[in-house]
Amino acid sequence: MMANGLHRLPYPVHRWLPEEQRVDLRHWLGRYRPWEAGFDLTPPAVAPDETTGPPDYVGIGVTLGGATWWHGLVTDHPGVSVRSDLPGARHYLSRFATEPFGPEQVDAYHHLFPRPLGTIAGEWSPSYSTLPWVLPLLARAAPGARLIMIVRDPVERLRLAMALGRERRRSQVGTALADAVERGFYGAQLRQVLVAFPRSQVLVLQYETCLDDPAGQLATTYRFLGLDDTHRPVGLHRAFRPGPVTAPTLELEARERLVDLYASDVAELVSMVPDLDLHRWPHFTPD
Amino acid sequence: MSAPRIARAAFRRLSPRTRSAVLHRFGIFAPWEEGFDFTPPDLRPGEIIGPPDFVGIGVQKGGTSWWYELIASHPGVSARADIHKERHYFSHLVTQPFGEAEVNQYHGWFPRLPGTIVGEWTPDYLAHPWVPELLHRAAPDTRLLIILRDPVERFRSGLSFRLSLGTIEDEGTVADAVRQGFYARFLRRYLDHFSYDQLLVLQYEQCVLDPAGQLAATYEFLGLDAHQPDALRTGVNVSGAKRPIDPDTGRRLAALYAPDVEDLYSLFPHLDRSLWPSIDVVGE
Repeated sequence: MMANGLHRLPYPVHRWLPEEQRVDLRHWLGRYRPWEAGFDLTPPAVAPDETTGPPDYVGIGVTLGGATWWHGLVTDHPGVSVRSDLPGARHYLSRFATEPFGPEQVDAYHHLFPRPLGTIAGEWSPSYSTLPWVLPLLARAAPGARLIMIVRDPVERLRLAMALGRERRRSQVGTALADAVERGFYGAQLRQVLVAFPRSQVLVLQYETCLDDPAGQLATTYRFLGLDDTHRPVGLHRAFRPGPVTAPTLELEARERLVDLYASDVAELVSMVPDLDLHRWPHFTPD
Repeated sequence: MSAPRIARAAFRRLSPRTRSAVLHRFGIFAPWEEGFDFTPPDLRPGEIIGPPDFVGIGVQKGGTSWWYELIASHPGVSARADIHKERHYFSHLVTQPFGEAEVNQYHGWFPRLPGTIVGEWTPDYLAHPWVPELLHRAAPDTRLLIILRDPVERFRSGLSFRLSLGTIEDEGTVADAVRQGFYARFLRRYLDHFSYDQLLVLQYEQCVLDPAGQLAATYEFLGLDAHQPDALRTGVNVSGAKRPIDPDTGRRLAALYAPDVEDLYSLFPHLDRSLWPSIDVVGE
């Protein structure tokens, strides 16, 4: 059974071991993260008053976009069932790029969403939108699921991802860097999402707007999920500071280059999400 | 057996990750590793430096070492054995500033004798979307080469290769291997910065079937005379062990690539679609 939290090592380990050795140590202890091949995906036991089925909602993006914070606010709603013995990010579909995906796997996925009658259940795996094979599988396993994606200024996202990587002593070259850059191409990601799902089933939120107006954006989220939108979580206005402790600012030349890199993708995103507020992403605001 | 030979044999028996850890301990890094010193190599008598005349930009597991060796065997090409074919110069330069000093440092990696040409081949450049702009700033007139391969086969070979190096199998590793097969998507970024005539697109399968013809086309593209290298008919070792994939999963991957491959065929009509049958099965 999945045990949430057990797959993490105590934080101070980050300070003296490079990532590769940290991962080796973790695996040697038999601990795997949900996105690693060795993670045990056995579904949990279902209580007598619970049913299982496809997820009602799936958060599909993005890393460093406040997904954990927002998912916490979603599951705070009494109409949403949440299991502490399951990771909020199931990452279940991540492994099926190279493995068969048939009725048995669909069924196993459904079993990861036990819920009491009358409540909804879901997950939020922020990397799903960047894994091209996942969306077609999700459309097969949960064609009626409502999808949520929170996007954030891609240059800012990359800056923080780099700083976080340094803080955790992750590699900052090659594949790791390509992955960090790739996660900011939201337009390309959303286009792939819309090949598999109708636009009406996808809610795109903006991280910066959520920070500014959490109550309004949360009400929108609740309505999108068919929930009573008057619920107010206790910690709603609690200061939220995700990401690295310190993140150096980018030099002007590098920032302009990155804005160029993402500009056409941001334009594509706006064409699919016309109410995206570009004034909240000043680098991309048209003159 | 001498002591150094025993040491070398023992070293080769270590796992790839332990081998790198030992080398790092001695301050030895590969160009694709963090910690590599990009100070250019010393010039030898008679050598001059400048921007590369050609840059191979892809793809991993597409026979690029074989092809680079064939190019390097031409008497009109300078290729020092002590400089890796993959310079990886741009691999680390996303958020750092890039200016004249970096351009000059890059040029320093291309020593050549007057009258010869020189270049590099870093297969990772293709799927690193920040590279085209930097490369254009550093070498605007360079000729770009790429060898493409059936993307499903490339994926299988690429993933097995990564895992054989001791990379942990997680969604990031798999995603990277999948991503590298979206050739048209990444080549379009290069065409934003370089002209169509500056790019030669080869097919790995075609190179295997007709090495002499494809090599002649490569030499011509690079402005080199006709030449017959001795090594042309030696074996090609690009496949290695390939990850077994069941037919259904293979079709699923092919379906993922199909729209990008169609875009690729429209960009480069000379590509022979009969060489990548797995993709066409999906479209029917």
